[in-house]
Amino acid sequence: MRISLTSLRGRFLLSILLWVTIGIGAIWYSAISLFTAHVEDLYHEELEVHVRELAGLTQLDVRGNPRLSRPLSDPRYAVPLSGFYWQVTREGYVTLKSGSMTRGSLDDGIARSPEILHRIEAGPSGPTIAYGAIKKTAGAAPLQFIIATDQRHLQRIISNFTQELSIWLMLLACALIGSGLAIITFGLKPFARLARAITDLHSGKTGQLEGVFPDEIQLVVANLNAYANGNAAIVERGRVQAGNLAHSLRTPLAVTTDEAERMLENDAASKSARVFLAESERMQRQIDYHLARTRSGGSRHGVGLSAKLMDAVPPLIAAMKRLHPSVDFHVKGNASHAPQIACDPEDLSEILSNLLDNAGKWANAVVEIGYELHGDAVDLTVTDDGPGIAPSQYESVFAIGATLDDPRCGSGLGLAIARDIARDYGGDLTLAAARDGGLLARVTIPTPVGRT
Amino acid sequence: MRVLLVEDGAELRRRLSERLTTAGFAVDTVGTAQDARSWPDILQISAIILDLGLPDGDGLELLRFWRARGDRVPILILTARGNWRDKVEGLNAGADDFMVKPVRFEELLARLHALWRRGDGRSPMILDIAGIALDPVARSVSINGTMIELSRKEFGLLHLFMRRAGHILSQTDILEDLYALEAERDHNAIEAHISRLRRKIGKDRIRTLRGLGYRFEK
Repeated sequence: MRISLTSLRGRFLLSILLWVTIGIGAIWYSAISLFTAHVEDLYHEELEVHVRELAGLTQLDVRGNPRLSRPLSDPRYAVPLSGFYWQVTREGYVTLKSGSMTRGSLDDGIARSPEILHRIEAGPSGPTIAYGAIKKTAGAAPLQFIIATDQRHLQRIISNFTQELSIWLMLLACALIGSGLAIITFGLKPFARLARAITDLHSGKTGQLEGVFPDEIQLVVANLNAYANGNAAIVERGRVQAGNLAHSLRTPLAVTTDEAERMLENDAASKSARVFLAESERMQRQIDYHLARTRSGGSRHGVGLSAKLMDAVPPLIAAMKRLHPSVDFHVKGNASHAPQIACDPEDLSEILSNLLDNAGKWANAVVEIGYELHGDAVDLTVTDDGPGIAPSQYESVFAIGATLDDPRCGSGLGLAIARDIARDYGGDLTLAAARDGGLLARVTIPTPVGRT
Repeated sequence: MRVLLVEDGAELRRRLSERLTTAGFAVDTVGTAQDARSWPDILQISAIILDLGLPDGDGLELLRFWRARGDRVPILILTARGNWRDKVEGLNAGADDFMVKPVRFEELLARLHALWRRGDGRSPMILDIAGIALDPVARSVSINGTMIELSRKEFGLLHLFMRRAGHILSQTDILEDLYALEAERDHNAIEAHISRLRRKIGKDRIRTLRGLGYRFEK
């Protein structure tokens, strides 16, 4: 499993793994060390008792040879090669050995002091822990008592303990990691809700981040909502002010235009009048274009924007039928199945209005609205059955103020505005020849990343 | 033809009124929604040019008021509000056309005549009856291809007769179409205008029906 440090889940998981590994490892090491020390102490105590018992049971016979008054109380010393051995030596006399030591002998080097000493050395059945002490006698040679036990007995006890401890600690580690994962999942659940809230905001289902969150996140959510609302209000205020400015300019511009038209009737002033008229029209185009661009919500692309084709189209068709009563405007196919479009409803209406009005001016009888859903974008098409335009003009008609040589062309702004809005959303507006000769305008609006 | 101009800008109102009068219309003007709402003879109006931004109310409300009352007079919105939302809202509230200021007067005139054409069942822009051709936008009249000169009132009178060719028009009908509400209306002047018109287009074209009025013969 690859843990990504860029995610909170990954960071928490890695922290828990490290903590459990270090903690359990320390417990494992400490427990084994303590247990080993404890078991060794007990072992040493027991065998030192055996040394003292052996010394207590040893007597000298009349010739000075050592002998036991009775066998040692631990029966393991009588079982051959049991790993428990004893030996009594007196230099120059017979050496006594336990019944278990059917071969070999113990090194009596450890028995050199009245104090009981121990060390590891080779024994009859492998490495042994040998304990030794001496006891002075009436003669010159002291008695040397050696008790030895195979080291494997002690190691087996420690090994069994280590094995059991390891199993239990591994189970404990699994339980800790499992509960850690549960805590991470529970603790991060509000973030999943936050992600859904952001997706809803992003897709336009909600106007702000909605839901109940823990205090720490709620504070962030409240601040984000306040920021988004404030931002929207500033944008809206800017739009209103731009609109007011445009409206306040248009009436004086209308008076100027009228004055210029009157001057046009006067031969002496007609040249100036034509300049006034041309400049007035230029000002009007600039006002219309920049006002439309200001109104466009495209700058807010991806945040809370969603439009339904069937909400936008019916009022537009009704209005277009009044403007172009001889033209049949209709939606191709079942428009109720039309997808949601990641676009401000106002912008969608602005785009479609411009395209429908343009198509209505040129159509002979029919204007058709179509839609097509791709994986990551929606295509809207407006097709008319008019004369169409030459492919060489597909680009030039988008120039601001460009008009074909026909009064139906109007100010020539509509297509430019529609394309600019589409491009604000990362999409485009392209023109092509319709199947039966008219013009086909195709608007592509991509679906923002993160939306499904 | 009478046009009611609802425009709050005094200067633009004055100018448009002058231009429309020059073009042969009888023009009534108001500057507030209240005055427009209480206009007494709306049924005699041939078209309303309506501004949306009025000082005491929204032109759209006024439009809805007239339509809700059943007034079918053609209404052309002439406004400084230029976005499509306003256009769609205005058209769907019952406006017949929508123009954004500033407009060239010729275009305004053409759009007004287009409205009437539409209202008359798409009659052609140029009226041509029994050799008399009248172009309301170019304000020209020809008889069998020969142009003739008419005064403003004579042109308005002929336009009315040709629009209602075959119908009897009383003197009141003619006065209401040719004169603004507050203009001085003189029955004798109508007779004088008709008399002069007859001299120019032929006296048999307009027949007098005693006690009823006049009829333009098809």
